[in-house]
Amino acid sequence: MATRTVSVRRPPPVRHGWLHSAGAILVGLRVTSRHFFRNLWGFIRRKPTVFTVQYPEQRLEFPNAFRGMPVLVQMDNGKERCVACGLCEWACPTDCITIFPAETEDEIERYPAVFDINMSRCMYCGLCEEACPEEAIVMSQNVEIAAFSRRGTLWHKQDLLVPVSKLEKRLQHMRRGYDR
Amino acid sequence: MPKITIDGHEIEAPSGAMLLPVALENGVHIPHYCWHPKLSIDGSCRMCQVEVEGSPKLVIACNMPIRDGMVVRTKTPAVENARRGVMELLLVNHPLDCPICDKAGECLLQDYSFAFGSRVARTREPRRKLQKRKDIGPRMILDQERCILCRRCVRFCREVTGTNELGVFNMGDRSVLNVMPEAPLANDYSICTADICPVGALESKDFHHKLRVWFLKKTESVCPSCANGCNVTVHHYRDRVWRMMPRRNDAVNETWMCDHGRLNYQHVNSPDRLRQPLLRRNGHLEPVDWEEAIAAATTQLRRMARAPGGPAIGAVASPHLTNEENFRFAQLWRALNVASVDVAVVVGQKDALLIKAEKAANARGARDMGLLPGPGGVGLPAMLDAAARGQLRVLYVCGPDLWETADRQLLEQAIERLECLIVQDIVRSPLAERAHVVLPSLTFAEKTGTFTNFAGRVQRLRQAIQAPNEQPGDGEIFSRILGQLVEGRPAFEPAAVLQEIAAAIPAYAGLTFERVGPLGYALPSAAAAVPEATA
Repeated sequence: MATRTVSVRRPPPVRHGWLHSAGAILVGLRVTSRHFFRNLWGFIRRKPTVFTVQYPEQRLEFPNAFRGMPVLVQMDNGKERCVACGLCEWACPTDCITIFPAETEDEIERYPAVFDINMSRCMYCGLCEEACPEEAIVMSQNVEIAAFSRRGTLWHKQDLLVPVSKLEKRLQHMRRGYDR
Repeated sequence: MPKITIDGHEIEAPSGAMLLPVALENGVHIPHYCWHPKLSIDGSCRMCQVEVEGSPKLVIACNMPIRDGMVVRTKTPAVENARRGVMELLLVNHPLDCPICDKAGECLLQDYSFAFGSRVARTREPRRKLQKRKDIGPRMILDQERCILCRRCVRFCREVTGTNELGVFNMGDRSVLNVMPEAPLANDYSICTADICPVGALESKDFHHKLRVWFLKKTESVCPSCANGCNVTVHHYRDRVWRMMPRRNDAVNETWMCDHGRLNYQHVNSPDRLRQPLLRRNGHLEPVDWEEAIAAATTQLRRMARAPGGPAIGAVASPHLTNEENFRFAQLWRALNVASVDVAVVVGQKDALLIKAEKAANARGARDMGLLPGPGGVGLPAMLDAAARGQLRVLYVCGPDLWETADRQLLEQAIERLECLIVQDIVRSPLAERAHVVLPSLTFAEKTGTFTNFAGRVQRLRQAIQAPNEQPGDGEIFSRILGQLVEGRPAFEPAAVLQEIAAAIPAYAGLTFERVGPLGYALPSAAAAVPEATA
């Protein structure tokens, strides 16, 4: 196969090229340094001007549609609203809910003696909340499942109870969303 | 036979039959509450209304005798409208208890409400307030609000048990189901009312608030509690038996079963169950592994089989084991030339309906398998006598019945003199406490095989749950012992053993699991004429 030689004309070297590079670096750092000095000034004046959230000291409030960990609604008398009907257990795609019902002498005769959620398995789909006929299990804004052992990610009934007053917004959102 | 047309399908049916059962048998589902195949016709629910050509109004299918050339339509707008109306009226006073009701998931009112009802309620009036959670008997509770007054339970207590505990009181919209004053619902079949209740008005205390029914898995089986062999469905979940329900078999138990049999599953889930073989060392029973326990039993059997003057061994078979297992047990004694073999059975009360005197499912089967004293051998009381006199040195006892039936003093004397007592049982029974070798046994829910009931009907037992600790079954234990004594004994495989039985025992000739089928197989009548033990 015949070869062909092509001559390429290269541009002549720029005089004092490093000066051009240094200039480009300064241009690039202009944005960074502007933020740096503004943050520094804000920090000195204790009025931060940036969006950084200082977690865990600071926390964001999520929108009502946000689905965090499922929790049990605690009524004003301190008991759970859940009647252990088992629909969430059945609806759960990851099978992370375990319920054992029991009977009481209260007007609501049935309650969950055991209500466990394996939080490491939960995928926050919210089907339990949608299946619940009693508005007893709702998706909270809590997302912190970190624990030192696997056992720590198994939440029992006492860990799951949240007073109804703290869940009012989500309950209202549910009533709008699920056509109740 | 008259020919009728239902929804365009031509159906032939025996004359005099009612329309509803004919339709159901031919796969046309007509919704119904009050009609039950084994009870008289009530016609109170009005759910089974259908259109019959030539009839001016809709008619109820349960009380409509068929007629040649009858043309029936079950899916016309008029019928659907009538069903919706019936559903609406039934739901006027039915409480929204579904989340806490044990019937939810198998409730006819729920099913038909989804299928034929309307989605919204038009009533604004408050529902009736009646007694809930009413204690109406030792095994049953009543929720009067949930009752839809189909009267199935009332007819059951009147027609099947003849005890008349239940009745509908008052009239019109004040009608209410209740027990007769001073007469609790305490008959031996009371939980059947919970089965036939189409809603959750009558509930069994045993299953009350235990588990949602949709989690239950169902396995067809046979009740192990008496010689009647009622067909049951074992309901289990997570390797635990939660309840037993009767399964329809018109030749055995129709659609009923007794409360004792139904509740007699607790030993399956019992925490006291033996989970490991035990061996007596220095006067104490110590857990050992299976090889060791079986080797210990085999050594004793082999030694005593060669005793001067014939084998000094006695064997007591269990009437709770399957035919296959007992066949292996019998093979074991034939291999050792042991003739002192018998079956111990607890004998109790019987009644005219289902309950039989022999309180074990397979005593008949055990005798059929040849577990009877052979030539030169002795039967049960004599066997213990011989042991007490020191003539029998080893006793192999399966099941708890010997401890219950034998003369306690004689049994204690016999155990005193025995060189080795081998006990195979489910729980750590008093007899097991006195044994030298204890082998854990499996329950009816954990094994496959056949039972032969008092009338000679062979019925299938199916494994519902896993055996604890991957424990070998009773037949496997017998096979292993036999394998140590005789060369070339194969592992225990119920279907294969049934083939062996079919080849060896004339009455069981040609029997396979397929032939036994879901409803059992009646042995030839000549073989069936074995009298049952009486109290």
